[in-house]
Amino acid sequence: MKVLLIEDEKTLAYEVEAFLKKAFYICDLAHNARKGLEMLGVNPYDFVLLDLGLPDLDGLKVLQEAKKLNPDAAYIILTARGNIEDRIVGLDLGADDYLPKPFSLLELQSRMQAISRRKFNLNTHELDLGEFKIDLQKRTVSHSEKEIELTRKEFDLLSYLLLHKNRVLTRMQLCEHIWGTFADDDYDSNYIDVHIKNIRKKLSAFGPVEWLETVRGVGYKIRKQ
Amino acid sequence: MNLISKLTLFITLSKLAIVLLFILTLPYLIGGIARTYTDYYLRQQQEKVLDVVSKNGVESYLQGEESYGSYTMLKEEYISLEPVAKGFSIDTIYTDERIIEQDTLNYRVLTHSFPADSGTYLMEVGKTIDTIDQYNRPLQRIATYVLLALILITLVVDLFYTRYLLRPLGKIINTKIKNRKFPFNENSVPVQTSTTDFQSLDTSLISLMEQIHEAFEKEREFTANASHELMTPIGILQNKIENLMVEPEVTELVQLRLIGMQTTLNRLKRIVHSLLLISRIENEQFSKKEFVRVAELFDDVLDEINHRLSEREISLETNLSKNLELVNVNRDLLFQLVYNLMNNAIRYNKANGSIRIWDQVNADGSYEVGISDTGIGIPEDELATIFNRFKKANQAEEAAGYGLGLSIVKSIADYHKITIGIISEVSVGTTFTILFPEELVDMVE
Repeated sequence: MKVLLIEDEKTLAYEVEAFLKKAFYICDLAHNARKGLEMLGVNPYDFVLLDLGLPDLDGLKVLQEAKKLNPDAAYIILTARGNIEDRIVGLDLGADDYLPKPFSLLELQSRMQAISRRKFNLNTHELDLGEFKIDLQKRTVSHSEKEIELTRKEFDLLSYLLLHKNRVLTRMQLCEHIWGTFADDDYDSNYIDVHIKNIRKKLSAFGPVEWLETVRGVGYKIRKQ
Repeated sequence: MNLISKLTLFITLSKLAIVLLFILTLPYLIGGIARTYTDYYLRQQQEKVLDVVSKNGVESYLQGEESYGSYTMLKEEYISLEPVAKGFSIDTIYTDERIIEQDTLNYRVLTHSFPADSGTYLMEVGKTIDTIDQYNRPLQRIATYVLLALILITLVVDLFYTRYLLRPLGKIINTKIKNRKFPFNENSVPVQTSTTDFQSLDTSLISLMEQIHEAFEKEREFTANASHELMTPIGILQNKIENLMVEPEVTELVQLRLIGMQTTLNRLKRIVHSLLLISRIENEQFSKKEFVRVAELFDDVLDEINHRLSEREISLETNLSKNLELVNVNRDLLFQLVYNLMNNAIRYNKANGSIRIWDQVNADGSYEVGISDTGIGIPEDELATIFNRFKKANQAEEAAGYGLGLSIVKSIADYHKITIGIISEVSVGTTFTILFPEELVDMVE
């Protein structure tokens, strides 16, 4: 997958680039709108991550121009402005998602993954997890054709961990994904633990769940080849 | 009492006092004038007699008689001459009784002794008090009437003029002070007046308000800009830590430290988020065109917050009317408002406590929703400040929260003209009430 990141804050751009490279994306950087549009004109991209607060052109204008140059790419708007109006206009102009700054890279990847499934209809809907099958499209977990009932939040947790498999996710990161801006400050509380405990309880009735690991003092991770 | 009433009262009372004083002193005044004039008149009569005596001798009066006496027809005036012992000397004017032909009358009497021919004579000239005083009463009455009329005229003129004079002041108070709401967004129109005091009062008020408005605007702008500028470095740090966490060289210990950093950074992020939200609300960047059913709003909030309730084993009793809708509101903001209040009710509750959500429609058409908890309560001296930014209620408590939750509630409430009330009793519980004004409330089927 090829990603173009148009972002004038270089330090931030480098971090995003490093992260995406690790997640096996090919990432190009443009530090202003002019350069970004130039690159869009030459190369085909699957994803365009567009900062709205660019110095040389209004972000929403850039989005319009970019859509003309590359209508097939998925567009994710990144902005620190955080206006609801911006978001609505952005989505109206054909952006696929909107991520307010500061954002978590894990969240970014999760959004990109969701768009991939939706937009590019990749065959990654169904994932194996031990003896379990997870359908990200239908949002179901099953064991030998038998569906296991999980709550919305439980499924969100499981799929987020699965997306970032082999990586420890902290309780805070999980909280933020599940509750967004309404995540509370008291991360030490055991909301996440309660959910994980429930997931384990529900799944282990069907098969082993040793792939869902607790990392002491840090959080949880899904171990998977 | 305002200035105009005070002035009216003062003017009226002072004029009344003058009238009273004048009426009280008038008899003495007129009496005094009459007496002085009479005395002068008597002296003139004396001069006339002495004139005649020096010209024609005392005999022209006596005509051989021992003494001389004469009075007018109605005995208003009399004159008498009689010899006295040689060397006797008197010259005075006094009031005394005289008996003239069996009539006892009060006279103003001038007594004067003078030498004439070979002896000394005593002259008396008298005038009845009744004649002296006969004009006093009508004079008094006329003077009183004239005075009263004058006073009345000046009173009316004074009152009208002060009223006219003070009208700009009333205008200044009404337009600049009473009906203005902080932070004085609307432009001020100078009040028309030729009184320089009012002019300077008006211009200083206008400039003061402009200064306040400007300072407030600057603060708002600063909060928005600062928060905005802070977001980028926070984002960079957050992403750096996220990338660092999965570096193979990072040991378990370093990882734990990184989590600590992340937590702190997250706290910073939340504070900045809250400040930005408040400044956006104060900048009126949210539309108020949505509508929402209160019961649904609470359901949504509970959906989001249920896990906290069950974690602390707090029971919930909800009793909200289903056929009420709020109009011209911002749904997201109201969600945030209810969320923050509910969160507080859970956070400061006791384990196994309870929360009761109730509502009522008031007689004036306003609608009130209450959230009553069985929590630790808020001490009375802290009630006034709990909506202030960065003021943490229950300081002793080790609870998290950075003192912005209720500030956000306040901003959202102010923005919608919603009134938030608190009743609290320490270690019994707190009730927050949300009072929606009538214009936000709509009854639906």
